[in-house]
Amino acid sequence: MIAISGVTKTFQRRGGGTHLAIDSIDLQVAEGEFVSILGPSGCGKSTLLYIVGGFVPPSRGSITVSGRPVTGPGPDRGPVFQEFALFPWKTVLGNVAYGLREAGMRKREAERQAEALIARVGLKGYESFYPKELSGGMKQRVAIARTLAYNPAILLMDEPFGALDAHTRVRLQNELLELWERDRKTVLFVTHAVDEAVFLSDRVVVMSRQPGRIKAIVDIDLPRPRHRDELLLQSRYQHLVIELERMIEDPPEEIRP
Amino acid sequence: MTALARNEALIGAIPILGLLLGWQAAVSAGVAPSALLPSPVAVFGRVAQNLGDPDFLGHTAVTLYRLFVGFLIALAIGVPLGLAGATNRIAGAALKPLVRVLAPVPKIALYPALILSLGFDDASKIVLVTADALFPILLATFQGAAMVEPKLVWSARAAGTSPAGTLLKVILPATLPSILTGSRIALVVACIVVFLAEMITSTDGLGYLLVRAARNFQTVDMFVPLIAISAIGLLLNGALALTRKKLLVGFPEED
Repeated sequence: MIAISGVTKTFQRRGGGTHLAIDSIDLQVAEGEFVSILGPSGCGKSTLLYIVGGFVPPSRGSITVSGRPVTGPGPDRGPVFQEFALFPWKTVLGNVAYGLREAGMRKREAERQAEALIARVGLKGYESFYPKELSGGMKQRVAIARTLAYNPAILLMDEPFGALDAHTRVRLQNELLELWERDRKTVLFVTHAVDEAVFLSDRVVVMSRQPGRIKAIVDIDLPRPRHRDELLLQSRYQHLVIELERMIEDPPEEIRP
Repeated sequence: MTALARNEALIGAIPILGLLLGWQAAVSAGVAPSALLPSPVAVFGRVAQNLGDPDFLGHTAVTLYRLFVGFLIALAIGVPLGLAGATNRIAGAALKPLVRVLAPVPKIALYPALILSLGFDDASKIVLVTADALFPILLATFQGAAMVEPKLVWSARAAGTSPAGTLLKVILPATLPSILTGSRIALVVACIVVFLAEMITSTDGLGYLLVRAARNFQTVDMFVPLIAISAIGLLLNGALALTRKKLLVGFPEED
């Protein structure tokens, strides 16, 4: 479904010189697979996601999605950002209906479908609210609904729950899993939280920092559907969390500035 | 909330009242003969009288016409140029030096040249208002558009909006707060410059009324156009604040 081959990204640094953000990334993601990219901050994991989204061009290497090379953004890949990135001038309904209207759907039909999606993410009754009137968790629900609206085959999630409090975070993780169990979209999920990656994913790609390289790919062989309360008691889950935590711990030589 | 807003308005009225009292005190203390420095009571009395005077209202309308047309042209030029400059590298590279060269030029200094080429009538004054109102709008639009969160644009692009489409559907609405801030400054500047232009050369308008009164030593009438343009500025600012509230309903509040 997604084939990333030899993707490298260097940024021009201010005052000359270049910064190698990610180096020679090779990764295949199968259709319907939930893959997390796990790594410390500054490892380039978000950059990789932006490249797959077509928002940022790679310096070298290529990406194909369903065999077609990625040259820019498209409605087959729907992003969800940590910062929500909702349109502040649009209501919840306007935000969620946006992609449907862009696809040429008539206003009434777009709004009807948007209303159904808003209900699906648990925000029925908030259609006429503006994003600024919502809590962080509600904003992210709207952002997810806005992306689901145009029915992308792939979800690109960039630390989507990173700005939320612990309680909201867990709730949204559960809701995301429920949504995913229903339509099994391909998900590329960037996070720095080990438990989140293990709970959600089929595979976890561990990245190292400076430059960002793939350090290991770990299969998460936990049965689905997963329930957090049962999972936390399973030794297999605990082992995976501990194994991954050890992996992302920086060895001393990588800590120096 | 509303009580607090009312209190703030009351507190804001105190310095203005103080200014008027100071004016009255200066007149009462005989700083200048009342024939030369009229009292605020006399001036505001004349303002009230003039509100029913078709001649005065006609001059006010002329000034307002020049102000609005000049401002709207500035808006029609400044917003597209600012958006283009911020979103297109070539347009930005072409625009920035030009703006840096022209922005600090005192536009009123162009007025003699404008009179010579466009005549005494509305055209020269409207062009002058446009020239002065343009830069606050252009600069605010440019800066606002350059600071639009890229992820807003990405979200729209992923939803199927074309790169050109994001200009109208994302960048313009996201820049609206900056455009309105620039407009607010531009309106004040427009009030000043239309008045100045009418003072320099005109046969009508509020600025002309002031000069005419001064030449005839009609000191009370000399202050009336000043009060009028100040009131116009106040009303326009209020109207813009209302527009802002209506247009920016979803944006975070700012004072």
